[in-house]
Amino acid sequence: MTLQETSAAALPRPARRRDRQRFWQEVAMIAPAVLLLAVFLITPFLLSFWTAMTNQPLVPRPTPVRFVGFLNFQRVFTDPLFWTSLWNVTRFTVWVLPVQCGIAFLTALLLHQKLPMQNVLRGMFFLPAITSMVVVCVIWGTLFQYPSGPLNQIVGFLSGGMIQPIDWLGDPNWAMFSIVLLSAWQAYGFQMIIYLAGLQGIPEELYDAARIDGASALRRFWHVTMPGLRPTHVFVLVITTIQAFKLYTQVAILTQGGPKESTETVVHYMVRAGFEEQKLGYASAVSVILFVIVLLIALLQRKLLRRFDV
Amino acid sequence: MSDLVLSQPAPLAIPRGNSKTGLRIVQTVCIFIIALVMISPLFMLLIASLKDDRFRILADMGSFRAFWVSEPTLSNYREIANFSGELAYGRYLVNSLVILVVTVVSGLIINSMAGFVLAWGTLRGKAILLALVVALYVIPQESIIMPLVVMMSRAGLTDTFAVQILPWVASPLYVFLFYQFFAQLPKELYEAAEMDGASAFRIYRSIYMPLSLPALATVSILMGIESWNQYLWPTLVTQTDYARPISVAIATFFGQDSIYWDRAMAASVLMMIPVLILYLAFQRWFVSSFVGSAVKG
Repeated sequence: MTLQETSAAALPRPARRRDRQRFWQEVAMIAPAVLLLAVFLITPFLLSFWTAMTNQPLVPRPTPVRFVGFLNFQRVFTDPLFWTSLWNVTRFTVWVLPVQCGIAFLTALLLHQKLPMQNVLRGMFFLPAITSMVVVCVIWGTLFQYPSGPLNQIVGFLSGGMIQPIDWLGDPNWAMFSIVLLSAWQAYGFQMIIYLAGLQGIPEELYDAARIDGASALRRFWHVTMPGLRPTHVFVLVITTIQAFKLYTQVAILTQGGPKESTETVVHYMVRAGFEEQKLGYASAVSVILFVIVLLIALLQRKLLRRFDV
Repeated sequence: MSDLVLSQPAPLAIPRGNSKTGLRIVQTVCIFIIALVMISPLFMLLIASLKDDRFRILADMGSFRAFWVSEPTLSNYREIANFSGELAYGRYLVNSLVILVVTVVSGLIINSMAGFVLAWGTLRGKAILLALVVALYVIPQESIIMPLVVMMSRAGLTDTFAVQILPWVASPLYVFLFYQFFAQLPKELYEAAEMDGASAFRIYRSIYMPLSLPALATVSILMGIESWNQYLWPTLVTQTDYARPISVAIATFFGQDSIYWDRAMAASVLMMIPVLILYLAFQRWFVSSFVGSAVKG
């Protein structure tokens, strides 16, 4: 390609015309994507940094918008509710990681073998992952009914009536855990698929070699499967963490951040500041902070993956 | 990506041989039971949507009657299958479908053209553009929506279909997926076509596009699911029925004083049907596309 570019001047005229035609064609083909990304991604992204340093309200007012420097960030960092929301998403992440990735890993191990009706089984396990979060909220909203919803009936039955009905979404001690349960159920299928692909990437010869050496199934798991899955584990943990920090829909539909702010999340906090309190500058500061958090997690992933030289 | 299609897994720790057939059957049955438990909430949703008494639905929930309906009725569906009025769920469903189809079709064309130029074009700044696309990928939707809502309302786009489509058509991830797919195709393909005097667009349309079925399937599925499940963005930019998608409409059931579980469930089943049909039709692609989206490490 570069050869043509450099020798264009030496080429006869028709070839040069063709080069020019090709240049404009390529520009025309890439322009729509570049334009859309510039308008709908880069512009709002840069604007969020600028807006975060102003006192801009959501609806334009006659008073001019003032530059306020880092005042919004200062306010965000001194608002206890922001720290509560950050603490809540951290709590959510710490719980959802083992639950969701654990279910995903176990189901992947179960499905990674020759089974009759393999595709049907995979499809069943994968079904929740393609269910919209809104639908998941409708379903789990009923499951969580207090005091006599299905989940409470099951808990009561299993404990022989020892455990009193739990107000899953109404009790500040339980609300976030309930959100964890439904989130893990909705999303594990995605991680399961990635684990399945990871398991398939482990060469069969390694298992054969281990078998010849007389390694038991458990040892084969520890010394062949687990090391082979290391990059998969890192990847799964990182995407789950990023998703967890963006927690919003479930909370907005089922608890609105309550009870007693026990399920307030960073994104929910941002949307409330921007659209209920109409403080656009303040909300933009929160969105910048959210971006920095996501960026840090992504960079951490890159570093971890490099350490395992993948 | 096609080599990632999960069709022939190797046995993990399962003993081979006929003597263990009994064990295999027990194992398979166990896995089936676990699978049934995992999807039982979805089955419950379907059953509940076929009961017409909303008190009955809640009363049945605590027992095995949650999985059985003696007199199935479509009355809940009839109540919400309107195209105007308060429960215009037919309309919301169509709105969502329109948004999905337009987003996916235009997204396929725009992102694949960009990916093609990044892979095979001769533009000078190509490498920088590619690096930019990868970098932009890190920006989460949540951290740009604040200024974006203001931009859109200043442009007078609130409550339109356009506002729900335009911002999500071009996406760094999909440009990159197409780039990656095109770049792995043999170079001879491009050179041969060029020799024959085909223009860049012609090569893209007549040679690369017909070969890129796996990439097209992957991106359509990912884009489709993303568009179908949008929630935060449409709640911010739609205020009236006109362009409201079904996700937002279902969520409004929860805002009312009395909760109409029966209708919410029927609407939820309606919302699942299109995805389910797509899933059953393209199951193989679904799996590989989710793995495909995982290349972004």
